Amino acid sequence: MIIRILGATISCSVICATAFADQTSPVIGLHHKTPQLIAFTNATVHTKPGSTLLNATLVIQNGRIKSISQSGKTPTGATVVNLSGYDVYPGFIDAYTDYGIDFNYPKNDNKGSVYRIDRIGGNAANGAIHAQHNWVNSFAPDSEKAKDFISNGFTAVQSAKLDGLLQGRATTVSLADGIANDLILKAQSQHFGSFDKGSSEQDYPSSLMGSIALLRQTFSDANWYQDAANKINLQDGQKVEFNAALKSLANIEQQGLVFSTDNEHSLMRAATLISEFNINSTLLGSGFEYARINQIAKLKTRLIMPLAFAAKPELGEAQGRDISLADLRHWERNPDNLATLEDHNIEFAITSHGVKNKDFLKNLRLAIKHGLSEQKALAALTTIPAKIAGIANKAGQIKPGFSADLVITKGNIFDQGKIVSVWTQGQKHQLINPKHLAMSGNYTLKSLQTGQDISLTINLTNKASITAKQGDTSLTTLNVTTTDDSVSFVINELVDEQPQPIRYRLWQDKENAGLMGQQIDVNQYHQSIIATVQPATIKEVKTKKQPQLISQLTWPNRAYGQKTQPTAQKVHFKNATVWTSEATGVLENTDVLVANGKINKIGKNLITPAGYISIDATDKHLTAGIIDEHSHIAISRGVNEGSEAITAEVRIGDVVNPDDIHIYRSLAGGTTTAQLLHGSANPIGGQAQIIQLKWGESATKMKFANAPGSIKFALGENVKQSNWGSDYRSRYPQTRMGVEALMKDAFEHAKDYQQSQQDWKKLSRSAKKDTAPVRRDFRLETLNEILASQRHVHIHSYVQSEILMFMRLAESFDFKVATFTHILEGYKLADEMKKHGAGGSTFADWWGYKFEVYDAIPQNACLMAQRGVLTSINSDSNDLQRRLNQEAAKSVTYCDMSPTEAWKMITINPAKQLKIDQYVGSIKVGKRADLVLWDHQPLSVYARAEQTWIGGVKYFDLVSDQQARAAQQTEKAQLLTKLMADKSKKSTSIALSASEKMAQPSWHCEDNHDTWQQHYKQLSSATQGQL
Amino acid sequence: MHIIKKLLTTACAIALTSTVTAHDMIPGAAQSNPILIKGATLHTVSHGVLTGHDLLLQQGKISAIGPDLVAPKHTKVIEALGRHVYPGLILTATQLGLREISSVRATVDDREVGDDNPHLLTHVAYSPDSEIIPTVRANGITHAQITPVGRLITGQSSLINLDAWNADDALTKGALGTHVSWPSQPSYWISKKNRPKALTRYRQQLELLSQYFEQSKRYFTAYQQDNSIAKDIRWHAMLGLWQGDKPLFVHAEAIEQIEQAMRFSQRFDLKMVLIGASDAWMVKEQLAKLNIAVIYTNAFGLPQRDDEDIAQAFKTPSQLTAAGVTTAIGYESAWDSRSLAFAAGMAAKYGLGKEQALKAITLIPAQILGVADKLGSLEVGKSASIVISKGDILDYQGHKVLQMFIDGREVDLNNRHRQLYQKYLQKTVNR
Repeated sequence: MIIRILGATISCSVICATAFADQTSPVIGLHHKTPQLIAFTNATVHTKPGSTLLNATLVIQNGRIKSISQSGKTPTGATVVNLSGYDVYPGFIDAYTDYGIDFNYPKNDNKGSVYRIDRIGGNAANGAIHAQHNWVNSFAPDSEKAKDFISNGFTAVQSAKLDGLLQGRATTVSLADGIANDLILKAQSQHFGSFDKGSSEQDYPSSLMGSIALLRQTFSDANWYQDAANKINLQDGQKVEFNAALKSLANIEQQGLVFSTDNEHSLMRAATLISEFNINSTLLGSGFEYARINQIAKLKTRLIMPLAFAAKPELGEAQGRDISLADLRHWERNPDNLATLEDHNIEFAITSHGVKNKDFLKNLRLAIKHGLSEQKALAALTTIPAKIAGIANKAGQIKPGFSADLVITKGNIFDQGKIVSVWTQGQKHQLINPKHLAMSGNYTLKSLQTGQDISLTINLTNKASITAKQGDTSLTTLNVTTTDDSVSFVINELVDEQPQPIRYRLWQDKENAGLMGQQIDVNQYHQSIIATVQPATIKEVKTKKQPQLISQLTWPNRAYGQKTQPTAQKVHFKNATVWTSEATGVLENTDVLVANGKINKIGKNLITPAGYISIDATDKHLTAGIIDEHSHIAISRGVNEGSEAITAEVRIGDVVNPDDIHIYRSLAGGTTTAQLLHGSANPIGGQAQIIQLKWGESATKMKFANAPGSIKFALGENVKQSNWGSDYRSRYPQTRMGVEALMKDAFEHAKDYQQSQQDWKKLSRSAKKDTAPVRRDFRLETLNEILASQRHVHIHSYVQSEILMFMRLAESFDFKVATFTHILEGYKLADEMKKHGAGGSTFADWWGYKFEVYDAIPQNACLMAQRGVLTSINSDSNDLQRRLNQEAAKSVTYCDMSPTEAWKMITINPAKQLKIDQYVGSIKVGKRADLVLWDHQPLSVYARAEQTWIGGVKYFDLVSDQQARAAQQTEKAQLLTKLMADKSKKSTSIALSASEKMAQPSWHCEDNHDTWQQHYKQLSSATQGQL
Repeated sequence: MHIIKKLLTTACAIALTSTVTAHDMIPGAAQSNPILIKGATLHTVSHGVLTGHDLLLQQGKISAIGPDLVAPKHTKVIEALGRHVYPGLILTATQLGLREISSVRATVDDREVGDDNPHLLTHVAYSPDSEIIPTVRANGITHAQITPVGRLITGQSSLINLDAWNADDALTKGALGTHVSWPSQPSYWISKKNRPKALTRYRQQLELLSQYFEQSKRYFTAYQQDNSIAKDIRWHAMLGLWQGDKPLFVHAEAIEQIEQAMRFSQRFDLKMVLIGASDAWMVKEQLAKLNIAVIYTNAFGLPQRDDEDIAQAFKTPSQLTAAGVTTAIGYESAWDSRSLAFAAGMAAKYGLGKEQALKAITLIPAQILGVADKLGSLEVGKSASIVISKGDILDYQGHKVLQMFIDGREVDLNNRHRQLYQKYLQKTVNR
């Protein structure tokens, strides 16, 4: 550390005079008292976004701005720097960095599962919560890293260790050289956070929904602790624990939270979660915001936007054959994102996070080319990040009293301009040698050798280069070398048409007056020469053309996305064979009228009312939409929070992914409603979410309104980790006996929890003053919802022992099991299930993939149904979900179920199991118009859905599907042509491509993978992850 | 018994599998009397659909087909008016009999360690007592190509009949050809960090495969000169391949795998059969031109890529067939291969048509496996391996296998599932 500070001091003294006297450390040696007054004159000063002063005089002193005026007067004693022809901008501020934080969390050598972490200093129980850290305590300047920021015009940053869910409080610092004490601008700025548990080795949370649940619990705990910490004890007389993390979060609402997201959906998830707790927040965006811009605009949230654009898709050996339309679209449209944000009046800052240093200005200019205004860009780099980083009163503008943080450029920084120097707190960082800049240009040199004019173009601003021409002939130049104030080189001149190397050295005579120098011939003889400035040619001002986009923008923005949101129609289905899923059974030659999203008439030979579209359904079959009790489609980043045995607090509803292509595919198979279930990795899993497959809509709009809550439980081999390998032999439970015990204990504890809440409420006012309230526990609250029959259990189960166990357990806690799911031995206990009142939702014919399904039989559904159990067939698979009609048909095949009963198993029966049968599940007047039109008897292998309607809105149409595919092929061909014509280099980027963002594994119940670790643990080695 | 079984530890239970779970269906005895199936709808496959026809089975063979056949003495007559008769369905690419419970290691015999296993013979490990087999044949499947899985060169498949006491009497034709599991590119979920390593491994696998074939060919060349050379059982098992008698079965799904395999088989001048074949539709003309037959095993598959037609997997058999590719429909895996007929039904719906779809699970696999002289169609002289169904065997509501004969032996269509079903139909609540 000491060495680094010394190093920094040394490098500083080389570049510049130390701006500050060190206030608290004793001076060793002599006192430095170099005057610190500088006047920049004749500059074009952009004082803040939208405000520019021409020919301005800017005076800085002791690291701060003293004055800015157009008077032309300079204070006496000031060093005058003529900035004629230069632009001055306020220094840029990056509100999202980890600059100067050199810190790593200790690592364990633990292999296998980590359920607990060491508790040190009153830290949080979870290893991903670091809220107690104040990163100012770890801040040490790092001049090497600072250089990278400075080279792009940054002068101050907000900084924290970017690791974990709640990362601690950032600090805002100057990028100047010096000791930390002089550089800290705001010691404690915003809290930082993300959904990624980062380096935490603890298993929990292993999924996105787990992260969200843990954040929710932690925010809630912080509120509780704020109150509880002042109390004498808890209800049971224990003292209130000390918790540094919760203490630190006490005022997060005002202190603010910068939260990182990696796609537009996770951005909306973050905004929703954070707004539950009224926390002032700023979200790190991803570049995908344009894809759901209307919803994001409604959030009214402030963003920090990275300039990392998706890498150019690689054509690869297959020449682009496998590039998806989504990737092509995103590649084309990604640079448009910032302009889109501006168009929707979304406030945003720009960060250099995630983009390579050399790409930052390039990408910024690309965004401007795509329509981002310069004014917004400047605001996004100065005033807005200043606000986010808590330094709006001292940085971000060129204003008297503000920090002397300046960016001096030759030319417009948002166009082709070059940053000549950057000033941090009055310290100068020279990026381009001004003498080199002055020497760069076009000159005419009269060769003493040939007497001919040589036309020279000298460019010394980046890598020194010189091009030379004699008439129209290009001459070779060699060994271009510079010193601080001169350039030397060799030109192969044509002497009698033979190239002859002539050596030159040139330097600037005086400002703007050409170059003088020497020519050295073969005899080492030096002769003076001059190079005169060529009259400037008037550059054609190119009118800026915003790039034309070829790609479509659809919801979701991928193949088969909706161009416009479909709306409800009034429809008359004429002369169909109607499968009502009611007692009326199958009605031949029947008409169905739909209006206002509902079925409003069923009859024969109805007249088409005015304003209705009429669909001839002769020889076609009309059914209710298929309902799937057990689905894992449309779930982002992990179907299991499989880390702990009980995770009732996690919610699938938090992570619905409306972009999943399987939604569309299942719609095409006639499925309209699906219960998205947590996996089966633990006995008490997460809360389920029922969705309607409204392709194109947002996650929120897909959720089934008014459906009662439900939750996934699981039994058997998965929860006792039978097939997880030898690393998983320690979690309780490992037997079916233990499963029962664990569940029993959990419910008992939930009851105690509720009791203590009630007891607290009954305390006297004075007792309440001394006694901390009961900490809200989302996990136990969920269990109490079950006990109160407000949340219904869908339990993964196979063998009869465990089925019987759970019914008896539920009965002892006085609730009813809604549905046993899978329930492959349900046929052995059908009478008992009937008596209990539980439903059974099973596979049509799966068996044999593990020991507990060795007694599964394809007659299971028949046997359960015969004995009066409410029976349905589910998919548990994105593949089966698009042909559930065939799965239902198997009960006709294997055990002669009647077709109407079979059809009920995928419509009204699952609707009843999900307790949504008052809305959907049959064709009945007043119910939601969720309808499927089939070209054939729907239980036949030859049946195909031609149209799928949800709430009177047509979400799938076979004809439109075919048209869309043709249009997509054309679009894709055009985009590929554009891609192939794109000459920009292969870019590397940490930004996700669209397909990486949308990557949606085919989740199955037992896919237990830690989404935050880059490895994928497939629990079942032998099967393709089947249940 | 079932309850007790559940309480046993896994290891213990598996040790007992063969005794505890051996099913009690008795393999049919050799045909002694002629059998006449009368008045049925015959789906001959080779000669269209004949309604109201009779079929005579004698000495394990089909001896006559026609309207109003005269029954020889002692003929067992089956009145089959309105019933549908099909040649026995032939299941290809399956691990039936090699894999009982996939998550219980002790019951799995479908893959060996190593990647140079051309000598492995599946019928050696085939268990005719598997509980799965009777559930599969109850759906009309009389024969199955038992196929190895694993890495690179996985072994030889064998064709067996599904009603047997042991592997000897199950075997219809052994060592059908060498199977290669074509290396696949690293999956999309492999992280950017691990991708380069995975790519290297993938390229090494391709190189290794090539080396194996070169070695095998060297062995063949030397062996032709001198058949007393030291025997390398690996390459010895591939002699038939180099002689051109036996095909190379390549398991490949993705287009780049298929293309590589096509170039490979050209380079080594091998007769190739493609198994899996998700992306085969992309190169259907080349496949037809190179005379490469396809055993398509994704009849119910999902699209392979985001932008693909939602019904691509369903349409592929018809697209391949239309382009002139000999296309069978197969079913990888064991327990769910009983849905073979429905897989064909799916393809029928999506352009293949019912007759061709039926052919894709009867005569075409028989041709690919070199047994079309005995199996795959209702023709006089062929094996009396037939199925009688109540209705259209390809569709759920017609599919009802009433009777089955393999080489004239009547097959017991009972199975573990029907037994459990029957048992629990009797269940009473005793408490």
